[in-house]
Amino acid sequence: MTRLSRWFAGPLGAIVLLVVLMSLAMIVAGTSPVDGFTALLVGALGGRNEIGETLVAATALLFPALGIALAFRAGLFNIGAEGQLLVGGLCAGALGNVLTLPGPLGITLMLLAGFIGGGAWGAIAGWMKARFGANEIIATLMLNFVAAYVALELVSGPLKGPLAAGAETAWLEPKYWLPTLLPGTRLSIALLVALALALFLQWVLARTVFGYDLRASGEAPEAARRSGINIARLTWIALTLSGAIAGLGGATIVTGELHRFNTQLSPGYGFTAIAVALVGDLQPLWICLAAFGFGMLESGGLAMQASAQVPKDAIHVIEGLIILVLAARRYVATRVEGGPV
Amino acid sequence: MNPALSLRNVRKSFPGVVAVDDVDLDLYPGEIHALVGENGAGKSTLSAIAFGELQPDAGSVVTPPGGTVGLVHQHFELIGRLRVWQNVLLGREPRRGWRIDEAAARERVLAIARRDGLEIDPDAFVETLPIGVQQRVELLRELDREPTVLLLDEPTAALAPAEIESFFATVTQLAARGTAIMIVTHKLQEVIAYATRATVMRHGRVVERVLTAETNVDAIARAMVGGEVPPVAARAATEKTPCLHVKDLSAGSGATRLNDFFLDLRGGEIAGIAGVEGNGQSTLADALAGLIEYTGTIAFHGTLGVIPQDRQREGLVMNWSLVENTLLGRQHRKAARRGFELDRARARQETLAIRDGFDIRAASVDIAVKTLSGGNQQKLVAGRALIDEPDLIIAYNPTRGVDVGAASLLQSRLVEARNRGAAVVLISFELDEILALADHVIVMYRGAVLGAFDREAFDRATIGRLMAGSS
Repeated sequence: MTRLSRWFAGPLGAIVLLVVLMSLAMIVAGTSPVDGFTALLVGALGGRNEIGETLVAATALLFPALGIALAFRAGLFNIGAEGQLLVGGLCAGALGNVLTLPGPLGITLMLLAGFIGGGAWGAIAGWMKARFGANEIIATLMLNFVAAYVALELVSGPLKGPLAAGAETAWLEPKYWLPTLLPGTRLSIALLVALALALFLQWVLARTVFGYDLRASGEAPEAARRSGINIARLTWIALTLSGAIAGLGGATIVTGELHRFNTQLSPGYGFTAIAVALVGDLQPLWICLAAFGFGMLESGGLAMQASAQVPKDAIHVIEGLIILVLAARRYVATRVEGGPV
Repeated sequence: MNPALSLRNVRKSFPGVVAVDDVDLDLYPGEIHALVGENGAGKSTLSAIAFGELQPDAGSVVTPPGGTVGLVHQHFELIGRLRVWQNVLLGREPRRGWRIDEAAARERVLAIARRDGLEIDPDAFVETLPIGVQQRVELLRELDREPTVLLLDEPTAALAPAEIESFFATVTQLAARGTAIMIVTHKLQEVIAYATRATVMRHGRVVERVLTAETNVDAIARAMVGGEVPPVAARAATEKTPCLHVKDLSAGSGATRLNDFFLDLRGGEIAGIAGVEGNGQSTLADALAGLIEYTGTIAFHGTLGVIPQDRQREGLVMNWSLVENTLLGRQHRKAARRGFELDRARARQETLAIRDGFDIRAASVDIAVKTLSGGNQQKLVAGRALIDEPDLIIAYNPTRGVDVGAASLLQSRLVEARNRGAAVVLISFELDEILALADHVIVMYRGAVLGAFDREAFDRATIGRLMAGSS
């Protein structure tokens, strides 16, 4: 199959399916799909503020999706991005509360803290897999719960802001806020960081020795091992980096959007990002496009709910279906082509 | 007599190539029909069409009423973790109520095995069985379906001499019972010895139909390649320098364990490791390549090139291009990089050099290797192992499942490597290959050295006996 037809059989087909399923949901809800999609599009792109919100969501999805894709290319299924986002955000927020540095330097350190925190969270799963052969799907999934409760415990007690009403850290000083990209919206320059990261990862995967080793391990583990790649080492590096990228995303949410840490940092970005990564065919540049599409759904969904009476949750149901269809397609494709499953 | 299967004017094309072009073929009950041809001649496509796995673009495939076609693939399609009877009867298990009637299943497998002379333990787990026995399981599975036509794709590619004999005894017996048998093969000696008729294909067309009684190996080989078969490069006098010293080498466990293996090999020599599959050869290869833990001594300084046993699983990333695969195993060398990037221009040049030097038939070096035929994949794996002119080469069945022309070319490249001063460890299940190429023969049996001979002392009968474990 050519690249284009392969893309159509997968991601593009998934988008068509998404539109069809959403149309059905709208018809069931008693609205015409035309009205529903109009509401969705207006809600997502209808004005400066709408576009800003779409890009905010896209950015929040892009970081974990890139991390997930990196692990996936190494043959590892990281479904712990949600927890890695939280840990990254927590580290950034906690550090930001105690820093007394110039703004740019402080922000850099906070992002670095998020990167390291998320990476450490991914490294736990990586270490369990490399050392004991633990299944990384279970390990990363379970660490989500650990992350959620540890974060909640910390911001309810030791890290709780002195003036905070709920479970959250103190607000960051404005000098530690990421600069706004689109004036009048909540969109910060995190978007640029994410896009640069996508470009960088595309280059790493396609051109570097590390990317080559990573892809070889994902595509053909036995051939990779015999080519001199230390699979155990690569496994934990891949999961660590995967977590680190998600953690960086968590830090950008804290410094760019919430300006404090709380456990409502992510409404499931780490899970939706799996769909984003798959729709993006695990290629960083396509993932940017997919993140934008899913960002539209996130921000336009509310508008659609208001004017077209399609519950926003229906979108999440449909996103779940997309993951299923794409996962099944990958499986079927490898079976039919006789490659490794 | 009416044919059990007839193909008429069959044509099948894939993007860019006509794989089968206007072919007629009749298979009669009771005959053993050999289908031969070079890689890419269209044999596999034709048998897939005969089996019904592929639809021809034009032409017809006719079996008389009640006729059924069975196919045994070259790469076995067995489930290792299931028992023999479970594999044989998969999907057709005898039932008692809701449950599988295990006693009846076992009895059914044993009945076919006894009838056709295939010795088997129905309760053994398939993954524990040697290749030769696994093939019996494949065969039993087809036989349980009582096919009137049985297609065998490269059935003896992985078998030892004794196993080949017993395999053909079974096949001959099947034919005598009235089954029409077609064997797709590269091994022309077997065609002459066991088949009654042979059909030769080249570039998708039938170029010759012969009675095997009226022809010989050379004539068939010439028809296959459309000219003379290129001879294997001559062995030149070489300067011998010490290269590899192996002593008291033990590794692995179970049936394939290596026990106190020893070997001294000099540059400019080929050591042929003769033995029946499953006697520790893969453990030896992995220990020499440094892939597994071992005890004892392996003294070797220099560069290493490996042609692995299973090219698809161990040697290639099937979804990748020829260029990317050319780097595999060589990607960590300094020369493979330019700055942080892999030097793709250089890899492309190397791939082109391998393509030309090893005559790889590929539309482009950027297509996925999974689209290449097995022989061309093997040439790529071999070319990659040899391109850096390593001091030591480990070649594991380098010509397995490849055609005459390709085998001759691969053997030539190994001899040329020897002639330039490389040491070659040639592990092969084909004794003829070893006797033709090697300076020394080491016979392996149950992981140990059972005999060692220099070229002047090669004696086929003695070596064959040692391979079977009798001294």
